[in-house]
Amino acid sequence: MLRESVTYVIAREETWQGPSATEPVEAGWATEAVFFLRGMDAAAGELPRVRAQISPDGMRWIDEGAAAAMPRNKDDLQFLRVRHFGNWLRLKADLPEGAHCSLLVSVHLK
Amino acid sequence: MFSTEVADIREGIVRADPRLSRFDPLPRILCLDDFDKGHSGWSQLLGNYEGSLKTILPGYRNMTNPMLSTLSHWDSGSHGAMDGTYALKVATKSRKDAVSVAIKRLTFRRACQIRLEFYATFKPEAVDLALSDRDLKSVGFLLDLQPGDREGAGAQRVMPHLRYLNAKNGQLEQKWQFKRQSPPVKEIGSRNETVSHFHLADEGWEDLPDGAQRLCYNEIATKVNWHYFRFDFDLASMSALWFQCNDRVFDMSGFDSIRLPAMKNLWCMLNVCLFAETASDKRAFLYVDSVCLSGNL
Repeated sequence: MLRESVTYVIAREETWQGPSATEPVEAGWATEAVFFLRGMDAAAGELPRVRAQISPDGMRWIDEGAAAAMPRNKDDLQFLRVRHFGNWLRLKADLPEGAHCSLLVSVHLK
Repeated sequence: MFSTEVADIREGIVRADPRLSRFDPLPRILCLDDFDKGHSGWSQLLGNYEGSLKTILPGYRNMTNPMLSTLSHWDSGSHGAMDGTYALKVATKSRKDAVSVAIKRLTFRRACQIRLEFYATFKPEAVDLALSDRDLKSVGFLLDLQPGDREGAGAQRVMPHLRYLNAKNGQLEQKWQFKRQSPPVKEIGSRNETVSHFHLADEGWEDLPDGAQRLCYNEIATKVNWHYFRFDFDLASMSALWFQCNDRVFDMSGFDSIRLPAMKNLWCMLNVCLFAETASDKRAFLYVDSVCLSGNL
């Protein structure tokens, strides 16, 4: 049997500012995840790194360790990879005052 | 006494197969989606756009991807599906009145009777140690249908909608509703090619006659029970024939669908949608164990 493979779009042209996160991704069936972040517009201000987070229940989150830069310009791509994540995943970033970033975020699981 | 009638043999085969025995399919099974085998072609409903995603109508911007879920709970671990491990989860965002829709997009080859059956349950996200039974607004389903391209003048796009209105404005409602009021169709972009209409807004729902029904919500926010749903629809007359939830069969004589002029690129469309709405700033979840779509094809 071929193994399952799926793409979820978890932020669709969302503008992140201040404390920001994707919707939770439930993916206990998957063993690996690749996130892509695409800039949908020019970002502004000082951009923090975006962090992968894991969770025991989809409600309480802790940094997993993987992190990537946020896209600075329209159509810039960034990615980060995660394995051994249990059942829950999301991306989180805390943008300082004056910073914002418009994103399309997808996660590719198998 | 053994029967050699084809119908009896078929019924025997259906009843002997544990995957099918829980359903009452019509002669041709189009889809038997058991989410232990993957997403099975159920995806995220996306609003129409042209030129920019910013042209998507506001009601569609909260949509999320349906995901495979073990119904994992913080206090009791994985609940699992009705059988096997995974169910399809339709999750809203944690924003009051948000709606999320899972869709399966098909076409049909004959305008005939079809039957949608599924086993599902619903719950708000268990962020509070409370019953939370007023936090989920509704769960429901709809079909999005259009006849073949030889239908001629007067052809219609027909969208039967049903929702179980669980709660609203802090009050339990616990009743079935349908929608026949057409939402405004809006031009999207500037090329005169794309239109969109948000048919899942909270306005326009009407109570199904004798449609009050209390379901098995259970006693805390992390206990769930699976429910049976069946909806029969005739693609020839574009009318509802049967609606059932668990032990209740509802009178559909007063039911009608949203009806719009046929659209230029949707001929023979047979779309099935399952949705959830939240009544609070908590995620609402519709979990679907399995779906059987059958017809007199």
